Amino acid sequence: MQGSRLYEGQKLALKYFFVAVVLFGAQLLFGLLAAIQFLYPDFLFGVLDFSINRIVHINALVVWLLYAMIGAVYWLLPDEAGIEVVGVKLANLAFYILTAAVAVVVLVYLFIQVGPGKESTIWFITEGREYIEAPRWADIGIVAVVLVFLYNVYATVMKGKHTGILVVLMADLIALAGLYLAGMFYTDNIAIDQFWWWWVVHLWVEATWEVYVAAVGGYILIKTLNANRKVVEMWLWIEVAMMFGSGILGLGHHYFWIGTPEYWWEIGALFSALEPVPLVGLFVHVLYDWGKERGKGNTIKNVPAFAWLTVETFGNFLGAGVWGFMHTLPQINLYTHGTQWPAAHGHLAFFGAYVAIMISAIYLGIQGKAGLKELKMTKAGWWAITLITVGVLLMTVALTISAYVQTMVERGMYGATWEGFFVAQADVWFTQGMGWRLFSGLMVIAGYGFLVYDLLTCDKKQPAEVYEEEAAAATA
Amino acid sequence: MDKKPSVWSSNRFWRRSATWVTGVSAVLLIFLTMDSMSQMTMGTAKDIENKVAKRIPSPVVINYKIDYQLNRKRGHEVPIIGGMDANGNSKYEEKEKFFGRDDYSEKEASELIHKGKLTIQAKNCMDCHTLLGNGAYYAPDLTKAWLDPTWNTLAAAYGGKEYAIAAFLQNPPAMAMHERKMPNLGITKDEAKAVVAYLKFMAAIDTNGFPRNFGKIKGAVDARK
Amino acid sequence: MFEPCTDVVCSFWSILNQGPMTLTITLHTLIVLPMVWIYFDEKKKMERGDIPQE
Repeated sequence: MQGSRLYEGQKLALKYFFVAVVLFGAQLLFGLLAAIQFLYPDFLFGVLDFSINRIVHINALVVWLLYAMIGAVYWLLPDEAGIEVVGVKLANLAFYILTAAVAVVVLVYLFIQVGPGKESTIWFITEGREYIEAPRWADIGIVAVVLVFLYNVYATVMKGKHTGILVVLMADLIALAGLYLAGMFYTDNIAIDQFWWWWVVHLWVEATWEVYVAAVGGYILIKTLNANRKVVEMWLWIEVAMMFGSGILGLGHHYFWIGTPEYWWEIGALFSALEPVPLVGLFVHVLYDWGKERGKGNTIKNVPAFAWLTVETFGNFLGAGVWGFMHTLPQINLYTHGTQWPAAHGHLAFFGAYVAIMISAIYLGIQGKAGLKELKMTKAGWWAITLITVGVLLMTVALTISAYVQTMVERGMYGATWEGFFVAQADVWFTQGMGWRLFSGLMVIAGYGFLVYDLLTCDKKQPAEVYEEEAAAATA
Repeated sequence: MDKKPSVWSSNRFWRRSATWVTGVSAVLLIFLTMDSMSQMTMGTAKDIENKVAKRIPSPVVINYKIDYQLNRKRGHEVPIIGGMDANGNSKYEEKEKFFGRDDYSEKEASELIHKGKLTIQAKNCMDCHTLLGNGAYYAPDLTKAWLDPTWNTLAAAYGGKEYAIAAFLQNPPAMAMHERKMPNLGITKDEAKAVVAYLKFMAAIDTNGFPRNFGKIKGAVDARK
Repeated sequence: MFEPCTDVVCSFWSILNQGPMTLTITLHTLIVLPMVWIYFDEKKKMERGDIPQE
């Protein structure tokens, strides 16, 4: 009965959120297995090797974030445009096709694992390219599903209201989808292979995804704080200018050592050094709005969503901004490239920039599904956010310590040889870092347990005044 | 509050700026990409004959001796193909037998490289190792693996380091050198040869001096022995 | 004043790359400078009252 107030598009969004949370669990589980293997290399050796666990770990991450991102768009699209999503039946069909395809790809990763060195392997088993290992048939399927998604978004916005948030999203989503095509080819030239591979990975993660986050973050601010739309949209355009201004040519920081011309050193260094600037802006903006609304005596309409948004701005600045800047200059990157440094940066950046805001969006969905005007933080929700955030921060620090050792011993002392690699990996500082990483991983998994429990029950565990207000509003 | 409207708080100004910045960055990226692509296409056997330096050389480099030396002009190490001249550039002269031959034609070498790259992808190498520094951090970087001193110590027992690497790839646990072993990925004899060819070819790619001081810091290494 | 380029191939971009930061400052200027023009253009329109209320 309560669900009937939702648009069909929003019901679809809830389905996307559901799969996203399940895949989030898979990501954590396989990350745990890989973390154990760093300390106990014989664990599951020959059954689920590190490479397989890592593929599932990072692919589940990318796919669940994409699910949550698509879900969040379906959630806000009818609300912003003021009309039902156009072509929502087709969108539902696309959802089931995509989910079936994801399931098949994961089963093939787990049970077939590797293939012979032939084109057929690239088409049906694995492409063997980090993050976009999905075989070519799945690539084509993903493109088809994304086309349906783009059609839904464009057709709905054309028919309904064109808000600034929607305009930014429309432009951003087409770039996001188009960039995937840059990863869909094979070449014997590994330098050119990696050159275009970064078009997908970097221009997603450090450009189009960031802009997506800024747009959805703006929507969440309006929903949780009643923030002034004009101000939110002004900030959104500022962030677009700064994110694309620094992020597009910031791509150069991946072109230092892969067979690319030397001029990328300069381009990559300075443009990517500016990438943290919009992230600071986002952070200041959210805190400023929060203070302003509290000053007016307004309450936060969805406390968990807003709390996760705050974690997002903080984590994005710290993980993507500070940890990224630490090793973005070529003089430093020469020694840190290909060590645990990018692992430390990657964990906090993905969490801070994307995981936190997608959880925030999922809480908006939970609130909307229950039809509550206000959603407060429950005990389980508080445990979830604390354990996950502290866990990831601790993990980042642990990996950073290991990274220092690896850079110093393997790169500095031993000149990057195999011997140097293994000497560094056996260093007690390195292995202790890996031990703390495993411990913090368990913290995150415990937090995930609380999160799932809270997402399922938080609408029924609200303090009494929330329900009283609902009842008062219903009788009035 | 504010009486005079300010351009700084005008959505129109920021929207136009955002559009301009995004557009011009994208155009610059496209021009830079076109320039990079022209420099990064694989060289040909002709280039090697004519001693033209290419960032990514022809697959026939597997016929030559590969080295990695400091170049004063560039200020970092560069791959040296077929011996080094007085200016620190490749001479493209000194050959080196690869599986008993040093006369692979461009077609034969390209086929080996093709199979090698397909195998590297099909076995998910990049999800434990790094290649050109990209990938996972569970196993050593393979960028200059062909030049790694470890293989020189095994070369004699196997009749050449290419044979040693190929033997390792076909059954890694049998030749495990560390507690953290490489699993047996079902790599065939032909695939192993092709992968070794790819590793040799990759060592000849000009990576702007990455990794730095590869296998050179003898003092520090030997001090522990 | 001008240094010969040290890269493998001397293209337009590597010639602009004259030691620390020349290339990147050029590109930043190219991107940011027109924003000054956009600013004054918007200001002019605002003073004339050409801007419709959003």
